Amino acid sequence: MHCHANWAAGMGGISFPLLADFHPKGAVASSYGLYLAEKGITDRATVIIDADGVVRHASSVTPAGSRDIAALAGLCEEVARAHGGALPAVPAPVGVTGATLFVKNGCGFSRTALLARTNLHLEQSVQVKNISEDPAALTEVTKLTGKEQVPALALGESVQLESAEIVKTLVSRVTGW
Amino acid sequence: MIQVGDRAPDFTLADHLGRQVSLAQFRGKQHVMLLFYPLDFTPT
Repeated sequence: MHCHANWAAGMGGISFPLLADFHPKGAVASSYGLYLAEKGITDRATVIIDADGVVRHASSVTPAGSRDIAALAGLCEEVARAHGGALPAVPAPVGVTGATLFVKNGCGFSRTALLARTNLHLEQSVQVKNISEDPAALTEVTKLTGKEQVPALALGESVQLESAEIVKTLVSRVTGW
Repeated sequence: MIQVGDRAPDFTLADHLGRQVSLAQFRGKQHVMLLFYPLDFTPT
């Protein structure tokens, strides 16, 4: 799990759960008939389950293979078309309207927060202000936080200062988790 | 391998932030895609 957490942070946050099928190893994969016991690994396989809990697609490219992401996106659309009609509306995520992210040049933590904004497709809703290039932004963040600390995420009345917390907040606002 | 039309076995596993995630929590709300990987840091 720590390895997964680090990888996800390195990506600047991910908008899906990365699960560990490890205690006991491969138990969930086994229940899907995808654990390769003789090799001690799980198959590189993809399963699409509709909202009623019924399997709508199952395929493997073998552990040595590589998935065709464009084809998978097409399959998702197919399943949504064929089985999406009767679905109740999913509550809209809270969103991040009106948020401002303060960053500076050459700062790894700023970079992490910026990556999260990109990976979560928030370019339109989270404004970026760079205190290295914009003196007004420096004044603004100093006023908000009482110090010259970035990254800082101003969201409504709240201000967050740790990149990990910023990533967590953005993910949670986007996904509703 | 599980077959199209089968009922998907439920599970609860920890995600990368330590949260418990169940297949059941998406029931009636969203379709779910499971991407199984043999190892970390391997291709798509």
